[in-house]
Amino acid sequence: MMLGAFEDSELEPNEMQEVAYHLARCESCTGVLADYSTLGRDLRSITEAPSLAGFSNAVIARIDRLPQPVLTRIERFFRRQLESVGTGFAWGSAVVAAAVVTIVLMTPYAEQLANRGAMPTIVASSNHNVAPAPAPAQMADAATSEPTMADNDSHADISRLESENHSVAVWSEPRRDTTVIWLPDQP
Amino acid sequence: MRTPGRHDGDEAELIERSRKGDSEAFGVLVERYQRRVVGVALAVVHNQDDAIELAQETFVRAYENLSKFESRSSFSTWLYRIAANLAIDFWRREGRHVVLHGEDAETEIGKLPTTTGDSFKEVSRSELSARLKQALEELTPEHRAVILLREVEGMSYDEISDVLQCPRGTVMSRLHYARTHLRNILKDLGGN
Repeated sequence: MMLGAFEDSELEPNEMQEVAYHLARCESCTGVLADYSTLGRDLRSITEAPSLAGFSNAVIARIDRLPQPVLTRIERFFRRQLESVGTGFAWGSAVVAAAVVTIVLMTPYAEQLANRGAMPTIVASSNHNVAPAPAPAQMADAATSEPTMADNDSHADISRLESENHSVAVWSEPRRDTTVIWLPDQP
Repeated sequence: MRTPGRHDGDEAELIERSRKGDSEAFGVLVERYQRRVVGVALAVVHNQDDAIELAQETFVRAYENLSKFESRSSFSTWLYRIAANLAIDFWRREGRHVVLHGEDAETEIGKLPTTTGDSFKEVSRSELSARLKQALEELTPEHRAVILLREVEGMSYDEISDVLQCPRGTVMSRLHYARTHLRNILKDLGGN
């Protein structure tokens, strides 16, 4: 038994040494050891490795045909649900994010549009705190022209000038939601 | 005895995914161990078609019982053990082989003729190959498994002990018996 284990290097170091010492003096055991070695080679030479082409696919096909235990089916059902909820949540988040970005970007324009349509607050004022009124001739020209800057302090855009009376000036400042009525000082 | 291998990390992950029903992950494990699982089955049944069928069954059983696998032993040893058990059961169930010696056949060794020297030289290769295959058939599956796992698969005594679930001493005695039996049969052939 020791000879086989010696051939396989499965003995303790001291045992290996003992067997080696014995082999050096024993022709019979040396012959047995040589036969073991030859036997091992012969066994390896007659053993043909079978072809494993398609082996793993065949195994997986068999596994896929296995009836699933109830617990596994329940677990998979819930996992699928969780996955689909997760996907839905992701899409929902993306839509909400896109909506928020759109609102943030569009708000100033929307505000502007809303202001154009809204009725301005009417403020009656004298020449105090307002820009000097344009001369009546100038006002007539301005009524048909594009809006111009009128109030340097507020930087308001005058969208229109409107007045039938040449001694009174009326103009709108959309940015300030203000309509200004200018009346000349009484003599 | 078990030392962590380079595959251990991803192997644990593959096993975990397989447990959750990921057959693709299990396919990777099949690819990794198929050759040696077939080798273990072949060592016992000594027939390629049967060995492949048994190896497939081994992987299916392993997949079904992954929840019972504990990482105390390596996954490969667990697989080889399933393969060896299935193959030995198959061999016994089929009962188509002639067993000349039983489990305690070591005592038979003394009855075998003993000759010495390099006795295989005179026999032609084809004759020797045929006789060797026949001699392997005459061994019990346990004895055949031990010698083929050692000589062909290159397993250590401890690995064989793990796979066949028998003490190391039994591995040594079975191996000794199998070697002596085969050697003497081949010597007889050489003498004739």
